[in-house]
Amino acid sequence: MAAPAQLGLQNAASPIMEELIAFHDHALMIIFLISSLVLYIISLMLTTKLTHTSTMNAQEIEMIWTILPAMILIMIALPSLRILYMTDEFNKPYLTLKAIGHQWYWSYEYSDYEDLAFDSYIMPTYFLEPGEFRLLEVDNRTTLPMEADIRVLISSQDVLHSWAVPSLGVKTDAIPGRLNQAMVASMRPGLYYGQCSEICGSNHSFMPIVLEFIYFQDFEVWASYLYI
Amino acid sequence: MAAVPEPDEPAKRKGSCTSLRSYWKPFKLLGILDVENIPCARDSILYGSLGSVVAGFGHFLLTSRIRRSCDVGVGGFILVTLGCWFHCRYNYAKQKIQQRITRQGMKNKLLYEGTHLDPERKQNNGNSSN
Repeated sequence: MAAPAQLGLQNAASPIMEELIAFHDHALMIIFLISSLVLYIISLMLTTKLTHTSTMNAQEIEMIWTILPAMILIMIALPSLRILYMTDEFNKPYLTLKAIGHQWYWSYEYSDYEDLAFDSYIMPTYFLEPGEFRLLEVDNRTTLPMEADIRVLISSQDVLHSWAVPSLGVKTDAIPGRLNQAMVASMRPGLYYGQCSEICGSNHSFMPIVLEFIYFQDFEVWASYLYI
Repeated sequence: MAAVPEPDEPAKRKGSCTSLRSYWKPFKLLGILDVENIPCARDSILYGSLGSVVAGFGHFLLTSRIRRSCDVGVGGFILVTLGCWFHCRYNYAKQKIQQRITRQGMKNKLLYEGTHLDPERKQNNGNSSN
């Protein structure tokens, strides 16, 4: 999850998020260089005594400032499209999880198991244990196996919501009457926090998501306990 | 040596590398580029600065033109930074892939050692049949 006053991206827990962070660094370096160049040109313009009031044409500079931005845009677009298609790759999922948005909680259904479904409400502040995070904890965490491709089907019961977990690089709208699919995979065990990302009413800020990724054997034990 | 805090005095947080890190604002060039935490950023900027100084100063020594030398310096900064950045990121990506393959190989060895799925056993069988 985010550290206090963190502005940058969270640490990656999935391969897609690693690729997104690398692309973000790539785009940021290009932006930094363009900004430096523009600042330098502004300083040149402000400190020159030269004037030329009868410019008619400037073919060379026009060529440069047409071709160079086109090349920069291609340099940014190619990795971007690569990641875009990578997020749409559909590997055979190990598990399917349904995440349904309600006002103002999430409900989860594990369709591969019989009768495995629960609601996930925000943990009120006065119920928090020491060390738990305010407005981020839930009463029932969504437990999933790590190092497995998991298909998440996202929909909504009432209004628009959005199921987002920044560490895994996933944000998918929950639209009533529509099923959206996202693929999720974590490389390591741990807790990954997210929040609803589409305005959905007065308690929009109070419907968090907590994914708990555990080892496969432990996941099977957890799933079997919920049948009891 | 820190004194023991009085009962009504709030306990001061003990400084340590891990605790202070979350309170430090990262240094960002032009307010956007976090050179501390982005891999290869610091090296690229430093090499770019060096290239800029070498190119600009060298041009000035040859031509004695100040403004044009500044232009050459800025151009050199951009080109050297970009070049170092792509070179470093390419090697970084190769290293990450190699680390992932090694990690997976170590995990497979731990899991499958002694079983019929042991990759070393398959390799030895292949060598002995040849």
